[in-house]
Amino acid sequence: MNLFIVMFKEIVDNLRDRQTVFYALLFGPVLLPLLLGGSMVASFKQLSIDFDQITRLSVVNADKAPQLIEFLYSNNVDVDPAPRNVQSSVRYGDTLVVLEIKDDFASALRAGEPAPLTLHMNNADKDSSKAARRITTLLRVYEQTINALRLQHRGIDPLTFDSLNIIQNDVSSDGANGQLLASILPFLFIMSMVMGGFYLAIDTTAGERERQSLEPLLSLPLSRTAVVFGKYGATLCFVTLSGLLTALSIYTLFKLFPVELMGGQIRFDGKTLTRAFLLASPLLLFISALLITVSAITRSTKEAQTYLGLLMVIPMAPFFLLQFLNVRSTTMSMPIPMLSQYQLLESTVLGDTIPWLHIALSAAGTLIATAVLLFLASHLYRRERLLH
Amino acid sequence: MIIARQLRKSFKPASRLSGKGKRAKRIVAVDDVSFDAADGSITGLLGPNGAGKSTTLRMLATLVSPEHGHAIIDGFDVQHDVLEVRQHLGFMPHNAGIYPRLTSRENIHYYARLCGLDNRQSQQRVGELIEQLSMSDFADRRTAGFSQGQKTKVALARALVHQPQTIMLDEPTNGLDVMATRGLRDIIRTLAANGHCIVFSSHIMQEVAALCDHIAIISNGVIAMEDTLQGILQRTAQTDLEDAFVVATRSLQDNALDTNRS
Repeated sequence: MNLFIVMFKEIVDNLRDRQTVFYALLFGPVLLPLLLGGSMVASFKQLSIDFDQITRLSVVNADKAPQLIEFLYSNNVDVDPAPRNVQSSVRYGDTLVVLEIKDDFASALRAGEPAPLTLHMNNADKDSSKAARRITTLLRVYEQTINALRLQHRGIDPLTFDSLNIIQNDVSSDGANGQLLASILPFLFIMSMVMGGFYLAIDTTAGERERQSLEPLLSLPLSRTAVVFGKYGATLCFVTLSGLLTALSIYTLFKLFPVELMGGQIRFDGKTLTRAFLLASPLLLFISALLITVSAITRSTKEAQTYLGLLMVIPMAPFFLLQFLNVRSTTMSMPIPMLSQYQLLESTVLGDTIPWLHIALSAAGTLIATAVLLFLASHLYRRERLLH
Repeated sequence: MIIARQLRKSFKPASRLSGKGKRAKRIVAVDDVSFDAADGSITGLLGPNGAGKSTTLRMLATLVSPEHGHAIIDGFDVQHDVLEVRQHLGFMPHNAGIYPRLTSRENIHYYARLCGLDNRQSQQRVGELIEQLSMSDFADRRTAGFSQGQKTKVALARALVHQPQTIMLDEPTNGLDVMATRGLRDIIRTLAANGHCIVFSSHIMQEVAALCDHIAIISNGVIAMEDTLQGILQRTAQTDLEDAFVVATRSLQDNALDTNRS
């Protein structure tokens, strides 16, 4: 009962604190996904080419190759006349790419020789190289058509020159492109959970000591365990709220962007995010316990911020670890809090099947760690030194 | 009612100050404190800064446990019947320690709920206290930016919320202006007249002389003298509490020197 009174008071108290509310409701759930997820989605969008979209291409000597122009036109490329100074126009980004048809193009084609074409592009410019890739791909298709015609003209089966038939069979259920994006999800989840409870945990423990409101509180007829668990409960509420809002904002973010373009089959639909949230839910308990315990050791809010700031490395560590070293999901890694959730969430987004044993081990390991931390926190609150 | 007998408490010094490797000597905050505080009267714990007043009150408030000696509050032992002691004791530490983002009413209400009052009882009790301590002007304002007098009133209301028989106030007049101090004195007198046992710590002589029925002089963690104001003046043959205080603490030092020599 007292536990809930403490918890309710801490929630009301901290909802009035702008800093706490900003980090719990805006920073983790809105700003982080926008900054990280948004920029990533945008870069994927930049790399992928939409062949159905109509684009314009500047061509020098367009009248020298009417059939090629006709082919480009039927492939959604409209032809513009070329700028006067082709080189500098492309270099300074006024034109993305320029296709130059040489004067002897038509005669070479007729003679059955390689017909000269120059594609002016700026490889340092992402948009220019993207446009160049699109045009090159189209030109290759055109080239193959002409090759086939030339061979047939000489009575040779065009398939003679296709000596190899290479089929790429990617057995991972994801596309390689999606890997990085998939690892973003657990990072966002865990980071915003930590940020969600960060300031509340500091305010209710170290802050209470600093304000010297702890001494009268502890002289009231209630057990110190109720005090600790009340504060823990309040932190848990904020951490959970932050986690839920993050799931919601990731869902919205990826609704707005076409995920199919990123290749592979990563999913950010409602069902996947619900599963991800459930798999991460033992972490809510763990992170809250970690925040409360660490800030209970410290004497002032400043000290607590320093310690917890260093602690921020922990949620980030698995992210970088998994980026650079390919730590595989194994039965050994599953009982480790944070690391296991990273792996489970990544697998969820990639649509891999997760063994029940892994889920159970991950939850059990995290809950045991939580219990140890909470035991430590209530021990810290029984110390007399708490008041000095 | 408070009965304290031979209380002693020492602390480990801050680790940075102690020499490396050597076992640090413990700092004795309270060495030997015995005094009585009766119901219906105001007992002053008078002593300079660092004399051990706060530590003594903390031991009585069950916040730290004494190494030696014992204390009984309203028939309950501070070491064994912790929750009963807290139920009978209203403690106001020397900093108000109120929550700045809550209003006065919410601050008091929180403590009322924690002391076991239900929502309705609590609202009623908070209303009574706001009236009793004339706080209605700032009852529903957040306490950030309150004057020291207003903060003290909120903290006092919080300490009184569960209608404790015994009330301990640690330097309550610190930082109060004349009018606020007078107001607080009136409140304390009324509480004593209603039969409460009041313990009041201070380092200000006039304060204690003006208010207290019974005075315990504390110095270097030891009670130097304990009597009524008249009794202390007679025993030290002085006319003024300040002079009496000097004489009482000096005789204590002399005694200590004598025991060291022998």
